[in-house]
Amino acid sequence: MTPRPWLHGFLDLCLLAMLRERPDYGYGLSQRLASAGVADVPGGTLYPALLRLEEQGLATPSWAPSEAGPRRKYYAITDAGRELLDGQADDWRRFRDGVDSLLSASEVPHD
Amino acid sequence: MTDWPSAFEAELLRLGVQPARARRLADDTSQQAAETATAPGEVFGPAHLYARHLVAELSAPVAASPRTKFEAGPVLLSLTGVSKRYRRQTVFTGVDLTVRGGEVAAIVGANGCGKSTLLRICAGLTRPSGGTVKRTRRVGFVPQDGGTAGWLTAEEHFTLFGAAAGMVPGRAQSTGVHLATRLAWRPAAQRVQHMSGGTRQKLNLVLGELHAPDLLLLDEPYQGFDQGTYVDFWQQVFAWRDAGRAVVVVTHLLHDLQNVDHVLDLGER
Repeated sequence: MTPRPWLHGFLDLCLLAMLRERPDYGYGLSQRLASAGVADVPGGTLYPALLRLEEQGLATPSWAPSEAGPRRKYYAITDAGRELLDGQADDWRRFRDGVDSLLSASEVPHD
Repeated sequence: MTDWPSAFEAELLRLGVQPARARRLADDTSQQAAETATAPGEVFGPAHLYARHLVAELSAPVAASPRTKFEAGPVLLSLTGVSKRYRRQTVFTGVDLTVRGGEVAAIVGANGCGKSTLLRICAGLTRPSGGTVKRTRRVGFVPQDGGTAGWLTAEEHFTLFGAAAGMVPGRAQSTGVHLATRLAWRPAAQRVQHMSGGTRQKLNLVLGELHAPDLLLLDEPYQGFDQGTYVDFWQQVFAWRDAGRAVVVVTHLLHDLQNVDHVLDLGER
């Protein structure tokens, strides 16, 4: 699993990407993050990030009932969220390619 | 013993969150815990700590890349070759420091190396033995122990210090109360002599900022603040900076220095 400090920079990006695919609620998002192998995100990290997306107009919430138990707060991505995600996806790829090239340049060939 | 949502909401209020917003955040947070069918304390930890964490998180921009440097403004403080001697004892020599609007400078160094003296020189309250000091006209100075009067209340101080800066009493008081709220402090009708050390330091900070100075000179103003407020203090410093002011902080604490623009170490000279 991802070291915590890494996640901190990319959690917003991951959340926006998942919301672009489909609206979801907090617990559902944390399960998708875990099953993608990105991270086990504790509630104390996930929910502030969602609220921040909401308050900055990048995601918009709506309440929906659940089959059993309390109603859920579903988040959908906004146009502003999509725009930010596009820019950050580019940043992320540049960063990822940069780290990859440094890693592969330093690797000793095995054969 | 209060329940978790009430304790959480109370701490948000103490941190200066508007009541309606605090209520909404508390409701949201309870609901989120309910989604996972867990008690809030188990998901989020102690209520007061999560309140501080949430306030800090919400004020951060989404996916903050490392701070893009703010465009530096005009030079508001400039020291060139400044030295200070007491009789034959040299405290420091050859101090150069330039601080522009939108920048934070930290003065660090061991006890007795002259940090507070240098700050007073910046403020124009102490004459240097050598070198030149240029500063902007509007300066706010927050000393370690403020020039406050024990038998006056906070609001009376706002009036008094406001008058010295040409503010009418009503405006000085509303400004003072507003600035206090940002430090998670609600001034009560309490005399300074009955205030805790932390509250007195907050009063000093508000008085230093009351007249909207361009250059703020702060001498360890958070000593005696509690932990949560210490965080608030640095947020406040960066808010001043982002508003284009120049800030000079004398500090012992080194762990925040990666965020400041200049570090002047008086100990290593």
